Formats: sequence, structure tokens, C-alpha cells
Amino acid sequence: MKKLLLTALLTILPTAGAATLVYGANGDPVSLEPGNITDGISILVQHQIYDTLVNFKDGTTDPEPGLATKWTSNANATSWTFTLRQNVKFHDGTPFNADAVVYNFSRWWDPKHPEGFRNQGRTFEIWGQLLGGYKGDATSVVKNIVKVNNTTVRFDLNKPSSVFPEVIGSGYFGIASPTAIKKEGAKYGTPASKPVGTGPFIFQSWRTGDRVTLAPNRNYWGNKPKVDGLVIRAIKDASQRLNELKAGTIDFTSDLTPDALKSIQADRNLVAVKKPSFNVGFLSLNNRNQYLKNDKVREAISMAINRKAIVDAFWNGLGITNASFLPPVLAWANSKNVPATYRYDPAAAKRLLAEAGYPNGFSIDLWYMPVSRPYFPTPKPIAEAIAADLSAIGIKVNLKTEDWAKYLEDRNKEPGFDMYMIGWTGDYGDPDNFYGAYYGPSASDDINWNPPELQRLLEQGRAAVSRADKARVYAQLHEITYKANYRLPIVHSQPLAAARTYVRGWVPSPLGSEAFNNISLVGKR
Amino acid sequence: MGSYVIRRLLRTLLVMLGISVVVFAFVRAIPGDPATALLGERATPEAAAALREQLGLNKPWFINFGNPTNPLDAQYPRYVGQLLRGDLGSGLKSNIPVREELASRFPATAELSVAALLFALVVGLPAGIVAALRRNSFWDNAATTVSLVGVSMPVFWLGLLLSYFFAVQLGWLPPSARLGNEYSIEPITGFYVLDALLRGQPAAAWDAVRHLILPAVALGSIPLAIIARITRSSLLEVLGQDYVRTARAKGLAPRHVTIKHALRNALLPVVTVVGLQAGALLGGAVLTETIFSWPGLGSWVYEAISQRDYPVIQGGVIFAALVVSVVNLLVDLSYAALDPRIQYR
Repeated sequence: MKKLLLTALLTILPTAGAATLVYGANGDPVSLEPGNITDGISILVQHQIYDTLVNFKDGTTDPEPGLATKWTSNANATSWTFTLRQNVKFHDGTPFNADAVVYNFSRWWDPKHPEGFRNQGRTFEIWGQLLGGYKGDATSVVKNIVKVNNTTVRFDLNKPSSVFPEVIGSGYFGIASPTAIKKEGAKYGTPASKPVGTGPFIFQSWRTGDRVTLAPNRNYWGNKPKVDGLVIRAIKDASQRLNELKAGTIDFTSDLTPDALKSIQADRNLVAVKKPSFNVGFLSLNNRNQYLKNDKVREAISMAINRKAIVDAFWNGLGITNASFLPPVLAWANSKNVPATYRYDPAAAKRLLAEAGYPNGFSIDLWYMPVSRPYFPTPKPIAEAIAADLSAIGIKVNLKTEDWAKYLEDRNKEPGFDMYMIGWTGDYGDPDNFYGAYYGPSASDDINWNPPELQRLLEQGRAAVSRADKARVYAQLHEITYKANYRLPIVHSQPLAAARTYVRGWVPSPLGSEAFNNISLVGKR
Repeated sequence: MGSYVIRRLLRTLLVMLGISVVVFAFVRAIPGDPATALLGERATPEAAAALREQLGLNKPWFINFGNPTNPLDAQYPRYVGQLLRGDLGSGLKSNIPVREELASRFPATAELSVAALLFALVVGLPAGIVAALRRNSFWDNAATTVSLVGVSMPVFWLGLLLSYFFAVQLGWLPPSARLGNEYSIEPITGFYVLDALLRGQPAAAWDAVRHLILPAVALGSIPLAIIARITRSSLLEVLGQDYVRTARAKGLAPRHVTIKHALRNALLPVVTVVGLQAGALLGGAVLTETIFSWPGLGSWVYEAISQRDYPVIQGGVIFAALVVSVVNLLVDLSYAALDPRIQYR
């Protein structure tokens, strides 16, 4: 019997479909309705089904035409006109035109939209977050959405925004078929519905907790998919994703832990892919703390942390450290007056601490997150390393943590954490998305430091249209925040991905995910 | 017997109501709420407050004292109202109806649990019997050691190890998931193996079995160890009793004495343990399902807890409690079948 079973197992080896591309995602999408999601997996799947008005050039954050072929603004960036691509159809045959664009944007922006289903779980919170609020709010960036003609849409804004095309080009805002939304109602985007876009792949099915299956869109307006099908599998555990990749049951995957790099490099069937960095992991220091209030103390702390050693030890060559809050792709917005990297000098740090009146140091809390994030894959050992560096200059660090949701809540509740680890992954390629998130008006609760000058510069940055003007504004922001030492950048990490060697044409986007229409499988068995 | 079952079922209903209150209050008492969990790094106080309001989480839990005309305009009365209409609500952010999700997830967990229990019984029972009959022999020691290892090895580690060895190194079995990409089974019962056979898809059924083996072994490792140990000790106790000696003295064949006289009596505690394991399997499934990307109840509720998805946690826990209650009832009823001295009134 045993022999029989063994023979049966040996003879029926796993067989893969001829040219179906299989991606291993680190979980299930939350929803396939555009504008109503914030998680990376939903965005990844939506990139396949939907197009956005604005795309980004492969592997960069530079805008290029998407469903809009061109866009122009008035002089002060308060009105943006988009010319739409012609002869494009949604997967259900509905024509793509200005009506479809206005319909989609109105659902997100207008709380009273009859098909916004806001009483049935729709929140569209990402719209409010990135665009200042909704129709009727004093803070809303958008004032009006106008259909100029069948192929032209104009967005009138309440305040200047030079980044508007990039914001609405981010993966959150795919354009869905109005016919499909009207037909499915509040069910739209759930596994029981059929999400319809204009994208390179057509939705087939979604078995929750398991996989989303897509078919190629042979009529796609852009580069047509080179595979017969696309399956996006939910494999939560990173080690298991690597197992699947090694076993050949998936073709490529992302979000592996840095310690997997060696094992991938040792496998001749696999290629390690270092994704471009578009995040920052940093330490925040709270001005409410009696010691951290002191400029010299903060400077001493910054100087005492051996960032390079920490990044080398915990990121396995998958991270860089520099003296900027911005990832390397946005380096054009850095100041030339700020050194490239932070100075590491424990002796000088100790002197600074003595000058501040604490020659014997003091005791302070350092909070680390309980979960692995792309910017801090192993928060606890990293926190321990920082604590060890600080103890070398006499600062006794108490390491603390708590449940992630509670952590996120408590950091903003007075008095907040003394020092804590946090980070940011960008949504679109503009410095405002980084600086605005942690130095903006609503982001000061955790460190209690919000000088009006910063707010003024942030406003100026949003209004600056040319890259040269922007660079000037953000260089000033860089200098101020660098000197203030309230947020100490530690790392810009490169998420680790991997693929079987037969996967060709995959160019990961710094923005987290991209459409897979350029990928081909050469010689997959 | 009939009235006993009815009484037990009525009591189960009361238990469910109690559990609904407890779960409802507990999930809300856990620090951190869905709004912050959903927003992640973006959770500024303003953004979280706005989202909380949009999700209807700013209403009081049980009684709305601020609304004298409608004090029941609170979260729990609304939830119970829904429950009574058979509506378990929808995932807070996903909007997926909890009932639909339960219908697809529960059979996945049940199929895995049944397979794990089968594996545990098929290996654990004989191991326990052999260990008892050949006490202190090599086989006894081997069974004891294996069961000790089974109990003490963390399931997630065992799972990864099995997957690495059998899927990556040997390539015999798939590393995770419930079914290969090339198959699709239209559900009837939700048990893939059974449905594939019913639909006349033997290849898909075999593929489902292959996917089932590793997670079932990982999940079944602990019950296997427990069953083997209980069987051994229970059988040893029975074998030492007078009536067994009498049976032997009467000259009955040793096999007949062991199986007919001793084993049947020794099985009673084993059945109790198997019943208890049904609940433990639902709990153990959380890890096994996560490791093996198994789209079941455990991984779903686990994810919901980290996201504070209240309706999903409530629906999942209430349903799991119902399953455990029903299984316990069935176990109690099976005692009567095994031991004629037991009667239910």
C-alpha cells in the first residue's frame, strides 16, 4: 500500500499551465473597487484590471500618458485639463469617455453621489487623504469636475496643486466601467461581483483567501499581455512564498524578508529582484519630553546612532541610509547644503549631551512597531541596536511595544511616545507626499513640533509648477528638518522580490506595483 | 432522547446569545480600532475620527442614552436585529457579506479538520493500541517519543518543514493552497475532494487530495499525539480489570479479548478527547491555514482580528462556537452508542 502511494505520488508531478503567469501576493485583496482601498494587494490587482488617467514610466515615478493622452494646467496650477484617449472600451464594451471619467471621480469626491453607496460601507478615505477632503469641505482641493466635451475633462481646484496629475495617477484611482457599477450596485468590488476596467487583464474570478484569476485583454490599447492568463495567489507567509517559488508553483513574488536573499541567490532557477526604494524608515522624537525638547540632545541622539552598521546588519544590502527624508529617486529635491549622510560620532555626541546639561545621560522610552513593515522588516532587533548605540553615550533606553493598531493610535495621543519607530511608503512621485505626510498640519500630534514656516513651504511646494521651483522650496524644507532632528531618517529600504529565471520583462515600479502586461514567460514548462 | 436533544439545542441558543454579547464587547474592548488599523501609517487623529464616523463606530455599544426617543440606536441592538434576520453583516472595508464568506470558508476548514482528524485517528489509535499491548517495548517507546515530539513541535514550524521537504526538495506535493491553478471545481458541499468526485472530475479530486496531505499532517500532529497517549493509558487501565482477566480465563482468543472486551470500553475517553479536539482543530487551523494558504475560517478570523474587522470576528467566533457546541452534543450522544449503560433522558 505504502509503495503504491509512493508510486502514485511520484508519477503525478505538479504540472503548470502552458503560459499562465502566477504571482504570489502576501495576502488577499480587500476590495476590487477603485478609490475605496489603501492596501498594496488590492492596488496590485487593480493595476491589472484598471487604467488610471496618468501612468508612470517603467521603473520610475515620472508621469506618462495613461487613459489621458495629455494634460495641461493654467499658470498657477488651479485648473487642470485632461485630453482623453479615444477608441478605448471597457471590458464590458462600455465606451471610455469624459462621462465615465466624471462618473468615477464624482463617486469618490461627492459624498452625496447617488451611486457612492456611502451608507453601505464605502468610505473612499484615500481620496480625502490625498485631496484634502470631499465636495463641500472647506479643505477640499477639488472645486469642480467638468466635462468639456466627449474627450476632455477639466478639474478646477480650490488651491494650487502642481502634483494633481501624479495624485490621480496613483494606483488607487483606476477608472471603472460606470455600466458595471450601476449594474452591480453596492456589491461592486466584492468577490460576488465582476469588476470591469479598461486594463490589460480581464477579471475572471476571485476565490477569497486563495486567488484572483484574470484573462488577457486582447484588445488592450497599450502593450498587449504576453501570457495566456494571470493568477494572483494569496500566500500570506513569506517563507511559504519562497517555498512556492522554489517549487515552481508560482513564477514571481515580492515582499520577501531580507534574510531570504542568500537562499534566492543560491538557487540557479531564481533571480533576486531588488525593487527600487520608495520609502523611509525613521525615528521620531517627541518635543513634549523634557530631554528631547533640547536641540543638543536631539543632535546627540542622531550623532550616536550608527546608521550604516544598522542598515548593513539588518537589511542585507537591501537598504541605503542617507541624510534625507526622501528616497533616492527624489534626490533632486534635496539641499546641497546638507551632507549626504548623517555624521556618526559617539564622542562628539557625548560632549553635546554634557553641554546640554546631561553628562550622565538619562532614561527614555523607545517604541518599536510589533509588525514587520517594508521599511523596518525586523523592528525589534533594529530597536535593540539603536538602544545599544544610545547606551554608549549614557542614554538608557527602555524598549516598548504594543499591538499595531493601538501603537498607531497612541503615538498621536498626548503625551505620545518619547521616541518611536515609524515609516512611510510613497503614493506618488513628489516630495510633498513624504514631507506632507509627517510635517503637514495634521501630522504634528506625535512630535508636537509644527513651525508655521514649514507649513508655508509645504504650500509653496504644492503650488510650484516647474521642477526647478519645487527643488528650491524642498531644499529649504530639507535644511530645516535636517537641523531640527525631530525625525531621524534611518533607512530607505529596497523591498526584496524574486522570480523564476524564465520570467522576462518585469520592471518593478518604485510605487509598489505595476501592470504585468509586459511580462513574458520564456520556456516555462 | 428526543427531549434531551431539544433541551440541549435550546441551551445552545442561549449560549450563542451569551457569546454574541461577550464577543461584541471583547472585540471593542481590545485597544486599537478598525479606523486606525485600516489607515495604518496614515492614521492621523482627524482621519481616524472621520473614518470611524463613516463606519458607524462612533455610536454607543449597547444603549444610546443620548437619544431618548430611540435608545436602541446603538451598535449591539442593531447587530442583534440583523442577526435575527439571518444577516451577519459585512466586512467593514471589504463589504463582503460575512454569511457568504462563512459558506465558502467553513467547508475549507471542515475538510482540513476532518482530514487531520482522520490522519490522527488512523495513525494515533493503532500506535496507542500497540504501545499498550507491547508495554515498555521498542514500539511503546517509539510511539511515546513520536507523540511527545508531535505535541511539542510548533505547528507553523512543522508546516514549513513539511512544505520545504516534500514540496521544494522532493517535489512530491504542492507547497500550499487548496487546488492547482489548472483546476476549478463548482462547489456542491464545499469539500473539494468530494465535490470534484461528484462532478466527475477525478483529476481535480486527486489534485485536491495532494493539496490536503501536508496541511492535514501538520494540523493532525497534535491530536495524533494526544489520541495515541490517551488510547495507550486507557487501554492499559482496562486490560488490568477483572472482567478482562475473566475473559482471558474463559479461554477466549487474545485478539478477541483485546478488541471486543477491552478496546470498546477503553475507547470512551478517546471519544471524549476526539470531541474536544474538534474545537482545538478549529483553533489550530489558524496557524496551519496561514502557513498553507488555506482559505479557511481560521486564517480569515485571524486576519480580521489584526484588522479589527468587527463583523467578521463576531460572525466567525459565533459560528465557531456553534460548531463546537454541536460537535459536543454529537459526542455526548455517541457515548450511548458505545456504552449501553449510558442513557439520555
